[in-house]
Amino acid sequence: MKSKELNDHICRSLTILIESSDELRDLDQALGDGDLGITIAAGSRAVIAALEELPEDTTPTEIARTCAKAFANANPSTMAALVAGALLSGSRVWEGETDIGVEEAARFTKAAADSIAQRGKTQVGDKTILDGIAAASDALKAVTDPAEATEAAKAAAARAVRETTSLQSRRGRASWLQERSIGLADPGAAAFQRFVEAWEAAGVTIN
Amino acid sequence: MKKIINDPESFVDEFVEGILLAHPDLVKTPGDDIRVLVRADAPLDGKVGIVTGGGSGHLPLFKGYVGKGLCSGVAIGNVFSSPSSDQIFQATKAVDGGAGVLYLYGNYGGDVFNFDLAVDLAELEDIHTKTVVGRDDVASQPNERKLDRRGVAGIFFAYKAAGAAAERGDSLEQVAEIAEDAVEHTATIGIGLAPTILPTTGKPSFELPAGEMEIGIGIHGEPGTRRGTLETADEIAEHLTSALVDDLELGEGSRVAVLVNGMGATPLEELYVLYRKTHKVLAERGIEIVKNYVGEYATSLEMAGASISILDLNDDRLELLNAPAQSPFFREG
Repeated sequence: MKSKELNDHICRSLTILIESSDELRDLDQALGDGDLGITIAAGSRAVIAALEELPEDTTPTEIARTCAKAFANANPSTMAALVAGALLSGSRVWEGETDIGVEEAARFTKAAADSIAQRGKTQVGDKTILDGIAAASDALKAVTDPAEATEAAKAAAARAVRETTSLQSRRGRASWLQERSIGLADPGAAAFQRFVEAWEAAGVTIN
Repeated sequence: MKKIINDPESFVDEFVEGILLAHPDLVKTPGDDIRVLVRADAPLDGKVGIVTGGGSGHLPLFKGYVGKGLCSGVAIGNVFSSPSSDQIFQATKAVDGGAGVLYLYGNYGGDVFNFDLAVDLAELEDIHTKTVVGRDDVASQPNERKLDRRGVAGIFFAYKAAGAAAERGDSLEQVAEIAEDAVEHTATIGIGLAPTILPTTGKPSFELPAGEMEIGIGIHGEPGTRRGTLETADEIAEHLTSALVDDLELGEGSRVAVLVNGMGATPLEELYVLYRKTHKVLAERGIEIVKNYVGEYATSLEMAGASISILDLNDDRLELLNAPAQSPFFREG
């Protein structure tokens, strides 16, 4: 996937993702402060607007950095800052790359997961967005066929979100609810799942 | 509740505009965003920049400490809310004189996330940063978890020390070390007598019955870690000072700087009544107050109450406190 295709695909995916913002808001209201809907909707719109301004020959690294800055500034919440930091970490592993395939996507996702773990001082099983991203990262590492990659990431994220339902939140506002958080899916992980689904729905497989 | 405001939504922009109009010789806004202030002579070639930031509602914190011998720039959030990473980054670019930039701010989740993201943004433009967070509130966590404490009025000492070091031309590593050293040797504890009222909601942040006080308050109008019977000024000074002396393990022969800080609605007279007893309690224990500061240094809008901060001094820290400084709200020498 070259720059232009990558840029277009991100824009199409985020347009689809915005449709999930009410669902994510409601999920977040049950566990947190409910601003996840606006973070996703305003963030996605800001990213699309910023990407549309980029010239066609912008590198994948610069595309990822543009996404990070736009997302962080749209609604400067904790989630926005964590996601933006993750995208910046991912942008570093794409230095020098011009064609993004499964292997590049896997390295990006791994760097993003590591950033969220470090910045959010969190680990898999704490019931956060990391649970979804780490699962997708592992799934992408195990595949080489572009046709299978998105499907594998989607299945892994969906499984991770289902698994968060039985867990108790250990980070962020949701952790204040303690055992009352058990029984509800983590909104952050669910947002990531919806993103991967949107990526698939946006058309082509990673390649 | 009556307030002198126009529109609650424009409250922050309007008081920042007021500061800019009142002190054009000391501070300026480097770009289009009025939420980013830097010292008027920024950037200083070859000197380390210091960027702070945080929510509004704490004046003189944070924007009041931008000036010579103090911070170089500040990113300003809404009342009790973090500034954005972009605002922090704009301040960073405006103060970078080529020697790197220290991020020095209070330990709060939203601020930490946004400053950390600004670290990434600065790195992309080859601006080297280091981060030190103020975490002086002894009531917020016990001593064994002191790294998780929140930052309150005592960050003033870290500003003063780090700002003096940057002004004399220390390297980024040295300025960060000096800031960290000041943070490690500072402890603060406060009490609240009346809540804060947010301009946007117009409602008090908590209810406090007559004859009671909140002990261990922060600077966001939040209740303290416990509620107790309102004590006399001498009892308050005795209890707060003892907690700080124990936390810092001060003893006979220790030299300290003391900051008695008003939370916004407490008269200076009451702060001096507190200082009086604090001075005596420390003197009885053989602890010498070498520097003292009494007044409003970090407030919580119109909260009534006070905090006491102590900095355990050595010769290096004392020299940094004594170095000249000038900002819209503070002057030394």
